[in-house]
Amino acid sequence: MKRSATPYLFLLPYLAIFALFWAWPILESLLLSFQNTRVSPPVWNLGVNWGRILGDAAFWDALRNTVLILVIQVPLMLALATALAVALNSQLLRARGFFRFAFFAPVVVGAVAYSAVFRLLFNQNGAVNAALGTQINWIFDPVGAMAVIITTLTWRWTGYNAIIILAGLQSIPKDLYEAAEIDGASPWQQFWRITVPSLRPVLLFCLVLSIIGTLQLFTEPWLITNGGPGTATTTLGVYLYRQGFQNINFGYASTIAYAITLLALVFSVIQLRLFGRES
Amino acid sequence: MKRLLVLGAALALTVASAQQMQGNPNLRGEITVWSWDIAAKALEANIPGFNKLFPNVKVTVLDIGNQATYDRGLAGCAAGGGDLPDVYSVENNEAEVFWARFPNCFTDMNTLQPAASSLRNQFPAFKWTELTVGNKVFAMPWDSGPVVMFYRRDIYSQAGVNPATIRTWDDFIAAGKKIAAATNNRVKVGVIANGQDDEWFRMLANQNGCFYFNNDANAVTVNQPGCVTALETVKKLIDAGIVMQGGWNEQIQGFKAGTVATSMFGAWYEGTIRSNAPEQSGKWGVYPMPASRPGGVRAANLGGSALAIPASSRNKEAAWAFVRYALGTTEGQVTMLKQFGLVPSLLAATRDPYVAQPQPYWGNQRIWQVILGTLGSVPAARGTQFFQEARAIMVKTQADYVAGRFPNAKAALDAAAQQISQATGLPIAR
Repeated sequence: MKRSATPYLFLLPYLAIFALFWAWPILESLLLSFQNTRVSPPVWNLGVNWGRILGDAAFWDALRNTVLILVIQVPLMLALATALAVALNSQLLRARGFFRFAFFAPVVVGAVAYSAVFRLLFNQNGAVNAALGTQINWIFDPVGAMAVIITTLTWRWTGYNAIIILAGLQSIPKDLYEAAEIDGASPWQQFWRITVPSLRPVLLFCLVLSIIGTLQLFTEPWLITNGGPGTATTTLGVYLYRQGFQNINFGYASTIAYAITLLALVFSVIQLRLFGRES
Repeated sequence: MKRLLVLGAALALTVASAQQMQGNPNLRGEITVWSWDIAAKALEANIPGFNKLFPNVKVTVLDIGNQATYDRGLAGCAAGGGDLPDVYSVENNEAEVFWARFPNCFTDMNTLQPAASSLRNQFPAFKWTELTVGNKVFAMPWDSGPVVMFYRRDIYSQAGVNPATIRTWDDFIAAGKKIAAATNNRVKVGVIANGQDDEWFRMLANQNGCFYFNNDANAVTVNQPGCVTALETVKKLIDAGIVMQGGWNEQIQGFKAGTVATSMFGAWYEGTIRSNAPEQSGKWGVYPMPASRPGGVRAANLGGSALAIPASSRNKEAAWAFVRYALGTTEGQVTMLKQFGLVPSLLAATRDPYVAQPQPYWGNQRIWQVILGTLGSVPAARGTQFFQEARAIMVKTQADYVAGRFPNAKAALDAAAQQISQATGLPIAR
């Protein structure tokens, strides 16, 4: 055997698993998106799903909701996470280990369990209304339901992002701050002139992860609001699941999956153009 | 006359055969049953009786929730029949998608002994339509869901409302306003899951002889006059401020807390009220649903289920014995009616003496006579394999219409029909 074949031999188990569980489903769903899967057995029909998606009001609703979450929730969460990371990094804070754990903990909680808790909290007779002294029917109001989803997501993922940003903060050389201090820069100036620029690659990483996560968002809207009321909190992930596993229309579900992939691609290119150049 | 005699004899024979079932101690094994809420509890209640006849079959009923049963069943079928139980519960409305997309996922009950077709006459014909494809029978009829109004006698009389005078939806709205006034707006007369479900629309549409699709399942009919009236009524009820908006759980919380004085649902809801609020015994009663116009139909159907046996079951004989015991004997069906209020569709069971008895929980009203009395007036409606797809569109349309995003109900339903037609490929009926 040639020596050059050896590394490929070592890679073979991985490549076989990759081909079977990644490459093949990806290819299969592409093929499915060109088939009418609502008859048994499925038949080839190149336009049936791709022709439908552009005129499908429910798909546009799902896209609009997903973009809404992207535009509101992701920046809100990243701003909070950065503030939190700076606080957690402060020398003034006691029991830092405890706080770091406490803010990271929501990620560890099972999604199903915490979704059930949030649904109870935002019930019309729930704790949130009791605390606010209101009678808002959160889950059954389009704006309220979206607010609940955004709150829930923020609660769950802020700490997670804060820990990543914290790691970024700790890699910033201390002497930069010392020098700034000697030059008379205020803490606020230090934050904007040193911290934020140094964090750029970390923030970009968090942004990319959050955007991909949002494009795939499924659990919270499914369990808390079931995509409703109407389609008010139906995300692309929920709509894909509905088509795939409720209507058993795998062809159309695959088309939606590819549409999401294309969107992720577009977003990634935009991000790299906007933020990625210098880093 | 002779014909009548033969018919009578045949009827007596079917009654006799429906009431008895031969046991078999040689039949062994374990079977698993998937179901939801009180339907699961009702099947569980049948295990002791079943085990008297089949002592060596161990039955395990898993309550995995209504939507999850459907979703997991479809996913299992799509995966080629993996991870499915021996006995599977399916709502009639949702059944056709299984047979249409996965004709090999379930056992043809005519291949079992005795063949399902020999039980045909023991159930009303309409219960079989969604369960049969050609000469194959994929599931056995279970209960039906004749719609009625479950109401709190004490709250109604406190507000001076006599349910006997509620004949139309306008009467109902007037009564709801009276009850709200008498209770300082604390008590509502219904719970509508606007935005999460469209069951009120479906019940009202069915009452008016309209549904998403026609009964041949080849055209969209959701924008026809009966449905327009139904949607208008839903909005009228919400606009009047007499109903609460909430889902299944909110409704239970509401009647337990005494803030909901009426629940409109399929009769299977009887068991939900009784088992969730045993402390309210004697306070509840039942009356037929109001009509859309004076003298109109006061009956509809919501839900109603069937039991199927997945083809992957390793113990079909035992599964079939359990299905036949629970659904095909008066004993099995009346057990479920007594304990959980599941309305039998087995004809012999609907004639059981229990049906005529006054019910203490319901203030000694003979509620099963009232409920079964509506069965004959229920207009036929068919779920088709596109039920869930149409429903999702209708849930959204209803929410938008209620929120004032359409000039009128006809425009809303025209838009819905357009979407359903686009999603299913079926034409809109003229």
